[in-house]
Amino acid sequence: METLGFLIDGFGVALAPQNLMFALLGAFLGTLIGALPGLGPANGVAILIPLAFTLGLPAETAMIMLTAVYAGAMYGGRISSILLNIPGDEPAMMTCLDGYPMAQQGKAAEALAISAVASFIGSLVATIGLILLAPLLADFALTFGPAEYFALFLLAFATLGGITGKNPMKTVVAAAIGLMIATVGIDNTGVQRYTFGVLELYEGIDFIIAIVGLFAISELLFFIEEKAGGGKAKMMVNKLTLSWSDIRNILPSSLRGGVLGFIAGVLPGAGASLGSFIGYTLEKKIVGKKGYFGKGDPRGVAAPEAGNNGASSGALVPMLTLGVPGSGTTAVLLALLISLNITPGPLMFTQHADVVWGVIAALLIGNFLLLVLNIPLVGIFVKLLSVPPMYLLPVVTMIAFVGIYSISNTTFDLYFMVAFGVAGYLFRKLEIPLVPVILGLLLGPEMEKNLRHAMDIGDGNWMVLWDSGLAIGLWVFAGMGLILPYIVGPILRRRMRVTTGTGGPEGD
Amino acid sequence: MTYNDRTFGILMIVLAVAYGWGATQLPAPFGGSEAVGPETFPLLLSVVLGLSSLYMIVRPDPDNAWPWSRTGVELVVAVVILVLYAALLQPLGFILSTTLAVGTLCWRMGSAPVRAYLTGAASGVVVFLVFNFALDLALPLGLLSFLEVS
Repeated sequence: METLGFLIDGFGVALAPQNLMFALLGAFLGTLIGALPGLGPANGVAILIPLAFTLGLPAETAMIMLTAVYAGAMYGGRISSILLNIPGDEPAMMTCLDGYPMAQQGKAAEALAISAVASFIGSLVATIGLILLAPLLADFALTFGPAEYFALFLLAFATLGGITGKNPMKTVVAAAIGLMIATVGIDNTGVQRYTFGVLELYEGIDFIIAIVGLFAISELLFFIEEKAGGGKAKMMVNKLTLSWSDIRNILPSSLRGGVLGFIAGVLPGAGASLGSFIGYTLEKKIVGKKGYFGKGDPRGVAAPEAGNNGASSGALVPMLTLGVPGSGTTAVLLALLISLNITPGPLMFTQHADVVWGVIAALLIGNFLLLVLNIPLVGIFVKLLSVPPMYLLPVVTMIAFVGIYSISNTTFDLYFMVAFGVAGYLFRKLEIPLVPVILGLLLGPEMEKNLRHAMDIGDGNWMVLWDSGLAIGLWVFAGMGLILPYIVGPILRRRMRVTTGTGGPEGD
Repeated sequence: MTYNDRTFGILMIVLAVAYGWGATQLPAPFGGSEAVGPETFPLLLSVVLGLSSLYMIVRPDPDNAWPWSRTGVELVVAVVILVLYAALLQPLGFILSTTLAVGTLCWRMGSAPVRAYLTGAASGVVVFLVFNFALDLALPLGLLSFLEVS
């Protein structure tokens, strides 16, 4: 029952007026980010990081706000799936299947409300799972030595593409590039590496600059290329007529979806899109002939939405306990933690208990806030969908500029950001995933440190890296993470394509 | 066509070799070398990048089309605008450079010029005011510094 005590302390942190205010602000901004075209959750959180610094927020407040943004973005993604049949992000793909038909039948408001309730239940289930599982995993992780950590980092890279990923080798290329960028600067033996005598490079490349450049600037370039500057037609939402029996009807589906999503979120390599996919297909099997899936069944909206949100909370488990994120957005949250000088991992649960439990409590509170925000305010978010990207993206770019400029007040960083943006555009054209690059940047120093410690312990013998059963297990899983996509990837991808009828957009 | 992956693969092999060679040139750390010196991890990375790039050359994915012609020009224009924005932020000041940069970007993305520059000016002024007064972070005024209230 130690956990309960910590959780109550956490509520104490999260309910402090300032933190509550920023959680509300974050939830609102997050839904906005999820709803607006061309602003994925990772992108949105990345742009807000420098702003959190400028505000001079304390660590737990900054983390609470951005976690709320993260949760909010998952809520926002469904709005365009339901109304426009365009998923706001990849996990929202499955919501289109029954959400859009419902909207066409003039039940858009009901679909939105149901998805909000299902999202809430999914997140709630997964947050409870997080509370139960995270301390256990953190305790277990305390037994990890440097060799195990090194293997764990490899596992994180290997499974990042997910088993539905297209070309695992490109993940390797991307990870290597990210790790290489991370070696720039003075290393911890005091040797300058790859600085070429440039003073600004001595401290290494700030990963926030890289993240904002890779996501925000490359997004702008993509929109210009696709000439997608025009706005969407204005949407009308009917008046909401939702009864309690409708909600009772979707409760079992939401609970099942939330549990499945949580499991998919915790497991490396599965991720939110697989969570919502499994949630939907299982629901279809369970309900069977009584359902009318694909033609606007509310349960077909509830299950994937709960799965999607469950997975996004589940993905926080490896990030908080092991310091190894499983998705793009959690990688960006990890970036925030590192820049706040908090080393994520098992020790965080003892050294920064206020931050961890504050964030977990904030996640619970944030879900209530989101539910309260989402049902009455959905009209506002719907209106925002019709903001034309040709105004939105330049302004977002400007905010990215201001944020980066405010970190150090130099233009050098801005050039760097633009360069990363161009690189990000080229990578995306070549279908080289960006998230491993960022993860490489983030984990590079830790990975090298653990390699060094392991080798010191083993007296320079490389065998020390796979000396324990645990380490071997991690290596095996990492290997499977790279090989499985070649074997089961094509089958799963085909099935997802058949179900959705589209290829679906890339990215997370 | 599979030129993209192949070209990129070759470039990355060149990078891997250059990076690996750079690692061997690193000076030994003060106090003698250890099991893992500053060059060990980079050497490992250059091998990984080299091998994975080789795979991209041997088994390339089909190409995505590059936007040549007008769209390509628009993209170059956008990058030039961003570079100029960074360069002019301090000399011109935040409000003026933002008006120009955001305005031009909006215009190039298809907005009517007047509305584009109005959006730029409005967003510049709002963000400037928010940052200088609410967040206490001084953005440069540049040419408009005569407006400064002291």
